[in-house]
Amino acid sequence: MGTGHRLRTQPSGLPWILPAFVLVVGLIYYSVGYTGYISTLEWDGLSPEPRGVGLGNYDALLHDPVFWASIRHTVVFFVVTFAVQTALGFTLAALLHSRVRFPTVYKVIIFVPVVIAPATMAPVFRQLFAADGQFNSLLEAVGLGALAQPWLAQSGTALPVIMAIVVWQWTGVTFVLYYAAMSQVDPEVLEAARMDGAGNVRTLVSIVWPAVRGTTGALATLSVIGALKTFDVPWLVTIGGPNHATDFLGTQIYRESIPEADVGYGAALSVMLLVLAIGGALLVGIRGLRRER
Amino acid sequence: MFETRSVRGRILLQVVVTLLAIPYLYPLVVAVQGSLSGAGWGNYRAVFAVGTIPTFFYNSILIAAGTIAIVYVCTMLAAFGFSKLRVRGKEVYFWMLLVALTLPEVVLLAPLFVTTLKLGLYDTRTAVILPLAALQLPFTVLLARRFVDGVPTELFEAARVDGANTARAFWHVVLPLTRPIAAAIVVLTLINAWNSYLLPLLFLQDPAKQTVTLLPQYFVSQYTNDQTKVLAAAVIAAIPAIVAYLCLQRLFERGLSAGALR
Repeated sequence: MGTGHRLRTQPSGLPWILPAFVLVVGLIYYSVGYTGYISTLEWDGLSPEPRGVGLGNYDALLHDPVFWASIRHTVVFFVVTFAVQTALGFTLAALLHSRVRFPTVYKVIIFVPVVIAPATMAPVFRQLFAADGQFNSLLEAVGLGALAQPWLAQSGTALPVIMAIVVWQWTGVTFVLYYAAMSQVDPEVLEAARMDGAGNVRTLVSIVWPAVRGTTGALATLSVIGALKTFDVPWLVTIGGPNHATDFLGTQIYRESIPEADVGYGAALSVMLLVLAIGGALLVGIRGLRRER
Repeated sequence: MFETRSVRGRILLQVVVTLLAIPYLYPLVVAVQGSLSGAGWGNYRAVFAVGTIPTFFYNSILIAAGTIAIVYVCTMLAAFGFSKLRVRGKEVYFWMLLVALTLPEVVLLAPLFVTTLKLGLYDTRTAVILPLAALQLPFTVLLARRFVDGVPTELFEAARVDGANTARAFWHVVLPLTRPIAAAIVVLTLINAWNSYLLPLLFLQDPAKQTVTLLPQYFVSQYTNDQTKVLAAAVIAAIPAIVAYLCLQRLFERGLSAGALR
């Protein structure tokens, strides 16, 4: 009875959620629906008479080697950046939870890349990894001159460089999250492990790593979404090249839609990306629900 | 985490941390060094002499402020509504927001382009602000709702018994209590708006309306052969974000990692 009464007197919340809802649904759902429609057209985006081609764009897409290359790059990108970021973030967090001098200085250095726009750093990285850039000079200075090469101009090295830049950018987040998670590890458990004769590495692997599993899971989800969203770094540093070696769905969609003015095809690619992203969204939702229960 | 009993162990630890941290600093050193090579500080003077830098910053500030205002107001209202008020089919609406959580902005490119042209919004800051806010909202609403869920309902009922209506309960109870999460949301939105590149690239053609993220590109086209000026422009573009972070370290670290915290 009590709750029923409370429910009746509780005022409606609809006007409260409406502004956010209208903005998100109005803009995003409208755009997504529109994209779906455009994806059935052959259109340059401006001509008043687009030509309907049904599922033609999707058919073309499935036979487009660049599309499959983009998918492949996204998968490789996710696996590599996630693994490297996790390893670095975890290690750095553990190190800075130890007795190190000037911990704040290290924390700031690792986190600063997170706040700088990829667009701002792009010219720096283009210069750094150029054939006559500082990275090659550095290699020569330490006696590894034989390894010097035009990093961004070769298909084989461009993608690894793009991944390195993204790892540079995002380790700060991984690090901060692991650092916070490690603060929650019970010191008594660590002490007990030490008493039982467990060394540093053993303690990290058997006690700390399992204790921060929740963080690792959350980071994996973030990395999937991040990989699907990848655009700024490959577009600004290599324009998806050389020879599509650093193309992702994002860069491909932009190129097809704007410079190539093949808006219908770009939209079909967008729909594919959307399907993958919604898969990711459901994953996030399910994770969230499971945690709430 | 690492236990070090000996002095040698501690020195080793320090060396390892330093070696791991250097690569994070290195690109920034390269940027500053590169921007000072050749004409030295003259590069910065030349970049400032073009006179457009304040305009780029002004635009970024306007866009960030507009986005933050919309996101903050909509998020707080929605978080309160979803968490404490009665809405028929509430969870359906909530899920509709959540589905947009992972949406890559590039998907919106073609329809937004066509629509802004039709509405006459092309080359206006509004065309950047609205999508930025819409893309940010699903996540901030999720964060804020979880936070408001943790506020005991009795507090609102007490406010209502005192004769306050819902709006006053929101103003006097929700807004003060949600300050910590609001700070995280503001910082997160600030960084995302300040660093956004694709939307300004797409919608802002007139250099008088362009943002800081477009600054290096602008100088690439101005000085095609002079990398030092381009790097000077990049350093100038990076400085405000770095300074803001140094002043508000905790807030930034919490805000930017809020995504995975809960």
